[in-house]
Amino acid sequence: MLSSGDGRPASTGEGTPISEEEALRRLRQTSDPSQQYYGAWWLGRMRSQHPEAIPLLQGALRLRRPRDTGAGVEENAVARNAARALGKLAPAARCAIPDLLDTLEDPDDGLREAAARALGELQAPEAVAALCRRLSSGPEVAGGQRSDSPRLVEPCEALLEALGDIGVATPEVLAVVEPFTTHSRPIIRSAAARTLLQLSGDARWSGVLVELLDHPQLQVRRAALMDLGAAGWRPALEPIGRTLAENSLKLIALRGLVEQGKGDPGIPELLACMDSLL
Amino acid sequence: MSAAAMEMSCPPTAELIAAVQRADSSQGLLLATQALAACADPAAASTLVEVLGFNNPGAAVAAVDGLIHLGPGAVDALLQLDPENYGARAWAVRALAGIGDVRGLELLVDALGTDVAASVRRAAAKGLGALRLGDLEPARQAAIQARCLDALLAATADGEWVVRYAVVVGLEGLAKASPLEPAAQGALKAGLQRLQVVSAENPTVVQLRAQLALDHLSPP
Repeated sequence: MLSSGDGRPASTGEGTPISEEEALRRLRQTSDPSQQYYGAWWLGRMRSQHPEAIPLLQGALRLRRPRDTGAGVEENAVARNAARALGKLAPAARCAIPDLLDTLEDPDDGLREAAARALGELQAPEAVAALCRRLSSGPEVAGGQRSDSPRLVEPCEALLEALGDIGVATPEVLAVVEPFTTHSRPIIRSAAARTLLQLSGDARWSGVLVELLDHPQLQVRRAALMDLGAAGWRPALEPIGRTLAENSLKLIALRGLVEQGKGDPGIPELLACMDSLL
Repeated sequence: MSAAAMEMSCPPTAELIAAVQRADSSQGLLLATQALAACADPAAASTLVEVLGFNNPGAAVAAVDGLIHLGPGAVDALLQLDPENYGARAWAVRALAGIGDVRGLELLVDALGTDVAASVRRAAAKGLGALRLGDLEPARQAAIQARCLDALLAATADGEWVVRYAVVVGLEGLAKASPLEPAAQGALKAGLQRLQVVSAENPTVVQLRAQLALDHLSPP
């Protein structure tokens, strides 16, 4: 029943709508982690404003435990979804920032990843120092591949993107991020360039992203589309339009250009391009 | 290009169809489909529709382009598609939306109201605003407009922003294509105004597009 990905339960989709009360009840009980998992996901997805939602999610986040046993994975799946949901409940969930900062130190890199993304969504300046510390050993160490899996030592993509979303553009932060623009994995280069573009507005980083729109791997082209959208880099309109990828992703990227960007090309041109991609 | 010139520049359609059926790689299927789509021969329609079911997105995009280019001549083949083949149906909705033939009306209405994929509902919404009604008698025209309007207005409450964005484009297209009765015109504008409202659930890009549509429909 538990799945990875976006944290949506595999077998209990939108086909079985539940009420907010029911989602809270499922998260509150502790005998069935899969029910808690679904409850946590629901509260984030539906942007619950119930006063009990955030305290329950904080509680679920504290239930994490080491990942080495089968049962541990279950518990951390609930904690991961709780972290994701807290990110979706910005800005009300800012009170959970200390819990998420604790989670950023967890040995489970999947949990650190979820916590980093949530801290980015909450735009928590309190997290900048910890995010930078996780990345400071650079692309060779923090960005090195683990000996036991294809994953990196740190969840670099999430850590980098959180720094961009938080938006503290000090020379120290830029100096931590910049070495990742030469990482061996194009997805990490894309994330680093996006963050530098968001923080500095320096056009040279858009060049890295536009070049990745031509990458032979679809997955990389998709990442570069999302990153240009997140940075709202409007001069990329034309290259985005001709990228070989699904229109759905181009539309999300163009929405980013409209909502996050400024300058030329202007809104009418951006909307005309979106119309043509429907 | 004249028909004679086209015949000279394009191998016989039967050969192009055989090449699609022979293709044994993803890239091979893409190239063969592009060649078949480019020949613009109505005899290619049923093979292009078959390609929609091959689970090869690149080839399906090429087939959709070819079918849209064929226009009304491709509609029969599209409507004969197996409704159980979900993947193929999603591409067919895109092709019918692009062709704008009224015979696609029911499939587009059904897709906008019930399809699980936002990308399919999005294409259907745009298509419902772009049906070609010009040659129909007024009563039939009004009846089809009313069906399109109802379906689009219901979808102003769609949970996905991109579908609501496409609904705005569909409503604008419907209003521009031919005059609506005053009551319908009023309902259409009210629908656009709902999507123009600033709210946490309705992203700025949808609000801006709805504003633009309202500006287009009521010039100052």
